[in-house]
Amino acid sequence: MTAIPVRRPRRRGDGRDAWLLVLPALVPVVLISVYPLLQGILLGFTDARAGLNQAVTFNGVENYTKLLGNDLFWSSFRIGLVWAFGVTILQFLASLGLALLLNLDLRLRWLARTLALVPWAMPPVVIAIMWRMMLNPTYGPVNEAMRSLGLPGDINWLGDFSTALPAVIVVGVWAGMPQTTVTLLAGLQSVSADLHEAAAIDGAGTWQRFWHVTLPGLRPVIFAITSLDLIWNFNSFALVFVLTAGGPGGKTMLPALFAYNEAFKYGNFGYAAAMGNVMVVVIAAFLFFYLRGQARSRES
Amino acid sequence: MKRKALLGIGAAAALLLSGCALNGGDSSNSTESATGPVTLTFQSLAYQDSTVAAVKDIVDTWNKKNPDIQIKLTQGTWDNVHDQLVTQFQGGTAPDIIHDESSDIMGFAQQGYLADISKYLTSDVRNAVSKDVWDTVTTSDGKIVAAPTLLQTYVVFANTDALAVEGVTVPTGKELSWDDFQDMAKKLTAGGKFGVGWGLKQPTAAVMNTALGFDGTFFDTQDDGTATIHVGDGELAVPQRIHAMAFDDRSLDPVSLTQSGTDVLPGFLSGKYAMYVGGNFLAQQITESAGAGFAWTVLPPLAGSAGPVQAANPQTMSVSAQSKAPEQAAKFIDYFSSAENQAKLAEGDWLIPASKPARDAVAAQTKDTPVWKPMLTSGDGLASAPFQKAKNYPQWKDQIATPALQQYFANSISLDDLRAQLTDGWSSIG
Amino acid sequence: MTQTLTRPRQVAPKFTEPPARRARTFTRPLQYLALLGYVVFLGFPLLFLLSTSLKTPQELQSADPSFLPKHLNWANFGDAVEKADLAQAAGNSLLVATLTTVVVTVISLPAAYALARLRTRLRGIATIWILLSQVFPFILIVIPVFLVLKQVGLVNNPLGLVLVYTVWCLPFALWMLRGYVAAIPVDLEEAGAIDGAGRPRVLRSIVLPLLAPGLVATSLFTFISSWNEFFFALVLIQDPGLRTLPLTLARFFGAEGQVQLGQLAAASLLATIPSLVFFLIIQRRLTSGLMSGAVKG
Repeated sequence: MTAIPVRRPRRRGDGRDAWLLVLPALVPVVLISVYPLLQGILLGFTDARAGLNQAVTFNGVENYTKLLGNDLFWSSFRIGLVWAFGVTILQFLASLGLALLLNLDLRLRWLARTLALVPWAMPPVVIAIMWRMMLNPTYGPVNEAMRSLGLPGDINWLGDFSTALPAVIVVGVWAGMPQTTVTLLAGLQSVSADLHEAAAIDGAGTWQRFWHVTLPGLRPVIFAITSLDLIWNFNSFALVFVLTAGGPGGKTMLPALFAYNEAFKYGNFGYAAAMGNVMVVVIAAFLFFYLRGQARSRES
Repeated sequence: MKRKALLGIGAAAALLLSGCALNGGDSSNSTESATGPVTLTFQSLAYQDSTVAAVKDIVDTWNKKNPDIQIKLTQGTWDNVHDQLVTQFQGGTAPDIIHDESSDIMGFAQQGYLADISKYLTSDVRNAVSKDVWDTVTTSDGKIVAAPTLLQTYVVFANTDALAVEGVTVPTGKELSWDDFQDMAKKLTAGGKFGVGWGLKQPTAAVMNTALGFDGTFFDTQDDGTATIHVGDGELAVPQRIHAMAFDDRSLDPVSLTQSGTDVLPGFLSGKYAMYVGGNFLAQQITESAGAGFAWTVLPPLAGSAGPVQAANPQTMSVSAQSKAPEQAAKFIDYFSSAENQAKLAEGDWLIPASKPARDAVAAQTKDTPVWKPMLTSGDGLASAPFQKAKNYPQWKDQIATPALQQYFANSISLDDLRAQLTDGWSSIG
Repeated sequence: MTQTLTRPRQVAPKFTEPPARRARTFTRPLQYLALLGYVVFLGFPLLFLLSTSLKTPQELQSADPSFLPKHLNWANFGDAVEKADLAQAAGNSLLVATLTTVVVTVISLPAAYALARLRTRLRGIATIWILLSQVFPFILIVIPVFLVLKQVGLVNNPLGLVLVYTVWCLPFALWMLRGYVAAIPVDLEEAGAIDGAGRPRVLRSIVLPLLAPGLVATSLFTFISSWNEFFFALVLIQDPGLRTLPLTLARFFGAEGQVQLGQLAAASLLATIPSLVFFLIIQRRLTSGLMSGAVKG
């Protein structure tokens, strides 16, 4: 038999072929992702709680009316937004700076490149442990450095109500820099060098070049990575869980942590699932924005 | 079209299964034990080397003597045990023999996950422990769901050299009143050093436990777990005194109030604090980490207007209600609770055994270590408290009491604010 | 954007500043300073971890520790490995991470090809699923997943963990690989077909080699994610002999806040070394590999 025609875009066997190729991935996905997801969503409409032989009854929107009046949940929601935007924006700026520096012909480049990847290599548990030690008010190096500079050196970064969230955000930025830096660096390198040279020949200064050549070329990448970062950060769990467990006094209680406590500490599975559903709706809204933005930037 | 049908079937299946699957695996709650040889899983939370070895010893000895009831020992951690039990109970894979503490395990008892072991415990074990402590592991309908093993109390560690320098005599006797404690602290605050360091990053347990010394019960608990809260002078006596020491007397380092116990310890060991309040098990760390020549002791237990009473929160050994062999499991727990075994564990962990004969054994074996004596004495004044049986207490503790107390100890809110937050918070939790 | 190019296109990998700019002598030191700042910010915590891992318990508990350890206490490493069965935990992590990477690569490759090349409604569904699965906080799915695995008897079993990790890593792997496949011009495949090669031959000898950097990047990401994962492992693995490395590290927290700092630091370092080495080897490829995936995807 001769070769199967590989003509694009129309092929009759495409649909069937696609199913075959996708099937090995489909089975575990349905089992471990789709089905539990559906069950999880449904749980949000029940009064499921921990207990032997507990009857589970659907209770409609009761969970959600209760949630509306739950000040602590909305406070954690607000903290989640502050955290997500804070980490994403700072992470972006820091990573952009680093990516720009790495794109230059500087001497320490190989060292900086490797170190930029270090946080990625570390399990979030390790990152949290390490930073807890660093931020310790008595023997942590951060406070020691402050003391040697003459600044107040006994701030309990992770224990003080006003400094906990900022401190945790800094750790979040540290942990998240690798993927953003690498992506931005890749994007920078793909922006054609010719455009830069052309602009330089036209007399544009460094800043103008950056603003009018680099940034626009980077726009799709920036859009992609910041939207993803935002979603990932909003759902972040392990890092803050180990760092502060949501404390002190709930000042770093991300919504994922709050829902986790509701389910695993107090046993209110249905209520926690309802919280999850609310979080999902908000993030899905962001996603919609991302897809639309991507479609738009593709057109341009 | 085929795809839509598939999706539809998938969704329907999900709906059906969600109902069943939620009830967990084994719904059997048989009180009948399996006959014949069994192998039971026992998850221990011991982490000190000596205690881990002691537990292994006990299990090995049992296994040799009881070929029909073999115990398989696994290791858990205190930090994760609650969350782990939640999923394990839900999925029916909890260990047969569970090591936990009463403040945590009683919640699971209320959810029906623990077996009643009252009929399986021998009278020796029953009589060795005081009724007050048994109270902490008995449900409102009289079921004993755990055997209490080791207890901790909050004690005052003192740097004897620092006391000598300021001319403060080391108190002896059965108790140390709060007033005397405050006076001592004032005298010991000199030359940049503080009289007391107290790691109260997690303040609620310490406050709730020591409040009993002023008759501060906080809750009136009914049999079914519902409770009403009352926050009066007795309840707020301890926080008030701590606050006064920190911000009026300035004899207690306010920074230490925001740190955990182990973070404050270096300050005690280096002489920054003359006295250090914490769980008595910290004696282990002090012994290990103190520099050569560091002289320290344990002061008599702190006493309020009602005496040196603290709430008892013993470590517990329970049997899972989903276990196939509850009787055999309980037999092992009975053996585990014998005075000899408890003494071994207590010494390894620097904790106080709930069993009186075990305490006597420890006293005899630790004659060369004087600090054991006041620690064991503090174990005499332990009682059960209403908050331990109140439903929703864990949630109130995490979401209301801890933030409120932390703010009070950071001097951001007043005593009246604290009272209001604690009371109103309870009604907001449902 | 106006382009006034008259010479042929060059694929220059980097752009160097045009000469004779007075500002250059001023900005260079600033750039080095900035780079140094980044290096310190990113690298110092690791140095601190190293220094802590070499200190004795006495030194760590003292209220005024210096940065450099007074004596090099290598015992912490030995203690950490011995006490916590680090070797076994590392072995477990290695097994799970490797299996996950293999399975993910094997099942995502054909799927990514299908999604990139073939016209099918699955494309839309897959995109939606990929994006949605990033959105769901997995705390929600933990209990249902646990129950599903219990019904197939895979709780407390590394294979169960592999299954969960596979599905967890699949979205990103698919997303990346799809981008890499799409970056390969269709003409290459068609040229091969015209030359008489069958589809499998085309895939094997033309597409696969071009896909290599993308596969490397995807495998790397999958391996690291599985190696680092904590929460599913916590819920699904109860047997201490089967614990993965992050679980074992969390154990070091001990009870009531008692932390063996030196050993914890030593164990943390040991846990990071494999990933670090992996990264060092691949760091160059990573950038170019991610480039096509991220930009085109």
